[in-house]
Amino acid sequence: MKTGRMFRGFFVKTISFVGYTVQYGCIAHCAFEYIGEFVSVSFLELFGQSISTDSKRNTYKSLFLPTINLQQCSGPSMEPTITNHDVVFSERVSRHLCRIQKGDIVIAKSPFDPKMNICKRVIGLEGDKVCTSGPSDVFKTHTYVPRGHVWLEGDNLRNSTDSRSYGPVPYALIRGRVCLKLWPPHNFGVLAESPNDGRIL
Amino acid sequence: MKTGRMFRGFFVKTISFVGYTVQYGCIAHCAFEYIGEFVSCSGPSMEPTITNHDVVFSERVSRHLCRIQKGDIVIAKSPFDPKMNICKRVIGLEGDKVCTSGPSDVFKTHTYVPRGHVWLEGDNLRNSTDSRSYGPVPYALIRGRVCLKRKKNGLTGRTSSKPVWTTSPKMKCYHAGRPTFSLEIILNHTQTLSYSSCIRSLK
Repeated sequence: MKTGRMFRGFFVKTISFVGYTVQYGCIAHCAFEYIGEFVSVSFLELFGQSISTDSKRNTYKSLFLPTINLQQCSGPSMEPTITNHDVVFSERVSRHLCRIQKGDIVIAKSPFDPKMNICKRVIGLEGDKVCTSGPSDVFKTHTYVPRGHVWLEGDNLRNSTDSRSYGPVPYALIRGRVCLKLWPPHNFGVLAESPNDGRIL
Repeated sequence: MKTGRMFRGFFVKTISFVGYTVQYGCIAHCAFEYIGEFVSCSGPSMEPTITNHDVVFSERVSRHLCRIQKGDIVIAKSPFDPKMNICKRVIGLEGDKVCTSGPSDVFKTHTYVPRGHVWLEGDNLRNSTDSRSYGPVPYALIRGRVCLKRKKNGLTGRTSSKPVWTTSPKMKCYHAGRPTFSLEIILNHTQTLSYSSCIRSLK
């Protein structure tokens, strides 16, 4: 009889613990979903495109990291604005209110891997004319960004796989706008403007 | 003094009411986000499988576990309007060869679905804007997989005030007092009449 009561008490405590965990987990998830989240940038890939040997590691990270909301985006494509091991804060409000503008740095889901995120700068919004040729090309080619899409480019133009290779990205893939750099402490603050003059027309 | 206490009591009650609303709102949001949601479909692009004003249930688990397969009907965010959703059938997954020409064209053209994308088409091929016009859709735009459809009332097809339903050995029946209702399992691609003649994905 006494052990029965003990088990029942233990069971009730476990259930209420699970209940509280689910409850506060949901509140935390909604806060990260609608307000903002911390993002850590590190070298997952070399050229902004996933290498097959890394696919299992990336899957592991994408399974566990969202629970602590520390997401990783691709490597050196945003240098010098964002470098390896930087921690940035990305806010979600602009995305939900459709206030993303040209020149903003955004975190978006990769069009080629739904479990990976990419961190690029918005060069053009829907209807804008963007330059698709490189700075060293003789003949300049342009294209117009279709409705509901954005044109993303990394700041490190020589080492970035972005819209110049895979085309415009649907706006719905954007997760948030990077607004603050938190680490390293000497670089704390708002992020710099694009170092590539003339890419934003 | 008494009015001060009244205001403080009222303020505390308001704060706790807001707190409970936020709390249960977040739990409900997470349930809809990770388990499933009811969706009201409009438009003719999925006829006869899903008609205008049908209510379907789309589950989110398959999408998060990457278990979406060819032949599934999915709800996805529109590539052209981030606030709109589209309801189409998955014809091809990444790497698959899909037919891009119409059934009446003389020369058949094909394309391969790129990595991380899917090829979506509506069941009503003559009246559907889908991947044949805007190309393959990134997998990350998919929100959920449609698995159940609320069946309309009998021969007239009208929905009555009480959603009355027909039974079948394959359908599940939920009796929750009044009204009683059952949900029809969404037909897979081998059963849909308009689809049995041509599955457009080729290996």
